[in-house]
Amino acid sequence: MNGYLAFLKKEISEYAKTYKLFIMLVLFAVLGIANPLVAKLTPDILKSLATDGVTIAIPEPTDYDAWKQFFKNATQVGLVVMAILSSGVMSSELTKGTLINLLTKGLSRSVVILSKYTCMVLVWTVSVALCFGLTYGYTSYLFPESKASNLLFSVFCLWLFGLFLQAAIMVSSVLANTGSGCLLITGAIVAACMLVNMIPAAQKYNPISLAAQSTALITNAAQPSSLSGAIPVSCLLSLFFVLLSVMIFRKKQL
Amino acid sequence: MGILEINGLCKRFGSKEVLKGLDMDVPENSIFGFVGQNGAGKTTTMKIILGLLKPDSGSVTVCGEKVSYGETRTNRHIGFLPDVPEFYGYMTPMEYLCLCGEITGLSRSRTRSRSEELLELVGLKNEKKKIGGFSRGMKQRLGIAQALLNEPKILICDEPTSALDPIGRKEILDILLAAKGKTTILFSTHILSDVERICDHIAVLHGGRLALCGTLSEIKERHRYNGFAIEFGDAETASLFESIEELKLPSISISREGNTVTVLMGDRSMDGSFLLDVLSRRRIVPLRFTVMEPTLESLFMEAVQ
Repeated sequence: MNGYLAFLKKEISEYAKTYKLFIMLVLFAVLGIANPLVAKLTPDILKSLATDGVTIAIPEPTDYDAWKQFFKNATQVGLVVMAILSSGVMSSELTKGTLINLLTKGLSRSVVILSKYTCMVLVWTVSVALCFGLTYGYTSYLFPESKASNLLFSVFCLWLFGLFLQAAIMVSSVLANTGSGCLLITGAIVAACMLVNMIPAAQKYNPISLAAQSTALITNAAQPSSLSGAIPVSCLLSLFFVLLSVMIFRKKQL
Repeated sequence: MGILEINGLCKRFGSKEVLKGLDMDVPENSIFGFVGQNGAGKTTTMKIILGLLKPDSGSVTVCGEKVSYGETRTNRHIGFLPDVPEFYGYMTPMEYLCLCGEITGLSRSRTRSRSEELLELVGLKNEKKKIGGFSRGMKQRLGIAQALLNEPKILICDEPTSALDPIGRKEILDILLAAKGKTTILFSTHILSDVERICDHIAVLHGGRLALCGTLSEIKERHRYNGFAIEFGDAETASLFESIEELKLPSISISREGNTVTVLMGDRSMDGSFLLDVLSRRRIVPLRFTVMEPTLESLFMEAVQ
């Protein structure tokens, strides 16, 4: 337990001191503010582009558009940046050899993985919360009439998908010895999920539905119950990936 | 019974067999010089002792406890200084030692006082810079500080002096000497003068086994009379002697410096009378004929032949 807290503290201070935390927070804050603004301003921008004789019919923007922006940006830019920033989670320590000192001090290998994962989850949680909070505040200000449904549930799904992705990054980084190798394996895992999604029967259990269904959820085109399979599957897979990372790392020759 | 025992250790990397049944016994409170050529398996042995590598067969016992691969329990007795110690560049030395202290489970106040003591010892007390800006020598010294933090029973140093300038080397050796008596030091190197300066025990690793092992004085006693320095009056005679046919044996190595020819004989059945015979047969009278005290270098050369 000593080792866990000490190493977690070190991880968090590393995120802060190597500007990773800063990048994540700034990015998610910018996205959070931009989401409702883009939704509000898009019609005006398009109108200004319209020349005489051409009329572009644009429906009045609603809070749907702001939340669509939110989920689109968070699942694209947000997740990709998060993946890139965390891809060096093990490789930077293994190639440099910074971990050797601490392991020979009696730090257990399982603790390394668990505290690193905890730190990634914390950073992701704070980032998503920040982005959601800003989008929420701005959206209620710009679009007082709120129509979006299942909001908290959709954000929870997005957050859970982030956890799944981070567990995949963890296991990839233990398998690969470089940051790029880690991204490659993570990419393969995501691609596998996408391939599985082509089978209609599997969609219900596929973690990727957590991120893909958000727009449908807020517009009420899909119900939360449609993800009743994907949520436990994602939780179990995340747990499995983390345990697998621990097992592989314990057997890794350093 | 030693504080560190290695029995029948084997390790291969692919087709390369690095350790072939290594047996070693490190007595308590010794400074144990672990010598071998580059690639002889010194680092591999140390990593197995630390549980970082998995041995193919054989066992390692630290303070009576068996080391199991992947576990770090036995490491609480050990302080380790890697050959190139790496730290988190964004930390200051004090922050780093505090992290190490927390991980080993030292109390906060103990960590603080111990860190100050050690930073004083290694000469980094007033260093407020981040580790990222440290020179190699400074990192090496911080490496010793972190290795000694939890007052380990065994300090393992992997070539602590090989990349340092003469002053840095002397400083590191002095620090190690200062730790003598408080802890057992296992110290790998290929710089023999360093071994001679601080070690009392020595083991030479060659071909995956120990080729030589014992206290320094014991080994020197056992290998006396194997080297001779013969000084000649002029260069001509020296080169004449150097090229004598009888001396061209695999067990004899000849080197020359100015007018002095040094003959090292690996074959224990030969001695100085053989050289005197050769000299008298050729009617060469040397200026000086000296029986050399065996140097560590000659012992090493003999062991790895």
